[in-house]
Amino acid sequence: MPGIDECLLEAMTVNGARGAALIEWTSGLALGMAGEVRDEDPEATAAETAELARMAAEQRAFAALGPGGGKSGADDGTDNGGDGGTNGGGNGDGRDREPAVEDVIITTRTCYHLLRFVDTAFDSGVFFYLWLDRREGNLALARLRLRDLCRGLALL
Amino acid sequence: MNTPRKAGARTGRAPGLTELAAERASGALLCDAGTVYLQGGQVVHAESPVSPGIEVLLTAGGRLTADSWREAMGRAGPAGGVGRFLVDSGRLSGAELEICHLGALFDAAYFALGHGSGPRGFQRGAAHWLGPVRPVGAAAVERETRRRGELLAALWPYPRVDTEPVVARRPDGRAPAVTPRQRAVLALADGVRTPARIARELGRPAFHTLIDIRRLAAAGHIATPRSTGPAAPPSPRPGVPGHPALPARSGARPPLPPGRGPTAAGFTDPDIDLLRRLRDALEATL
Repeated sequence: MPGIDECLLEAMTVNGARGAALIEWTSGLALGMAGEVRDEDPEATAAETAELARMAAEQRAFAALGPGGGKSGADDGTDNGGDGGTNGGGNGDGRDREPAVEDVIITTRTCYHLLRFVDTAFDSGVFFYLWLDRREGNLALARLRLRDLCRGLALL
Repeated sequence: MNTPRKAGARTGRAPGLTELAAERASGALLCDAGTVYLQGGQVVHAESPVSPGIEVLLTAGGRLTADSWREAMGRAGPAGGVGRFLVDSGRLSGAELEICHLGALFDAAYFALGHGSGPRGFQRGAAHWLGPVRPVGAAAVERETRRRGELLAALWPYPRVDTEPVVARRPDGRAPAVTPRQRAVLALADGVRTPARIARELGRPAFHTLIDIRRLAAAGHIATPRSTGPAAPPSPRPGVPGHPALPARSGARPPLPPGRGPTAAGFTDPDIDLLRRLRDALEATL
């Protein structure tokens, strides 16, 4: 059964991948990292990236537009946009656990940065972070690979 | 369980985490606000009465049923391998266990190591029933504990909101909107429940709840107990360079010095509403 490190290593096989990390956006804690980090202080980088994820996750402007979410904020944890799967069955209490936002993409002149929220059936507040070299990477493919990876993290 | 004496040179003083890591010790480091478990000098788990345990996190959200948890404890608890059992029996994926475990570990470590008056003792050889899942270096745990303390202080430097019963209050019209996660916290703010209890009921790590509590307090959605000064008092004089005189807007990370801030000794009770209005006014003009 793959753990965090196996998932990170798999993410690093995405074309153009330079670095990957699994980070709690609620706290800024990096649970695991692979590849290059953007600067010499990986924990600070993780915390900064988490801050971006938090802002995206908590912005009402984005949550309200979610086609699956409907009622703003009352995103029930029931699904991540028709992601298939049984989804654990235990979501009855669904206290706004997962953000309606699925991912955040930042494009710089040289890189793509992908942040994808991981749907867990407990309150983790975790997202997967992958950054790619823009010349070697394919954004659309990387995004799909990351989606599949995040689904594979949990037995839902 | 064997309880040999600790190897620390001085009696009456428990060895610190750094020391134990250096000698690759295995056992339980007992602190005022929790216990940190070591194996071969690495941190393998932590527990604190303040933070919900991994069993609470996994069952509160419905990821595991109480029955299935009890079964795992019964079968693998005595041998200290509950984590491995949960994965091997297909109840959790390896990554899920690691995510939940690390969340619980750093949460409890923050309270055990960051609060109280240091370690009280070391129970050599003691192991946790969870068993090793994803060991973490002691230095990383200490760094994260420090970072968490600084983060909370930067959000709203009034540590008493962390422990007192949470009282909701009506903010003025300019308060930031409440996020969905915060709304769940506010819904339980009945003036009786403490943040730790709210965290447990929501099945969330306690530190995550404290972040919401401090943000809510900074925004005026919950009351800040008045009879205490802030941990790092807002500098009343403008001549202190590089140190913001008022708590930063939530989310910013102002440069706080590491370690404990000065205590509130000799500092008179600040008028929090005044400070809040002052901050709002400053932010409006900056």
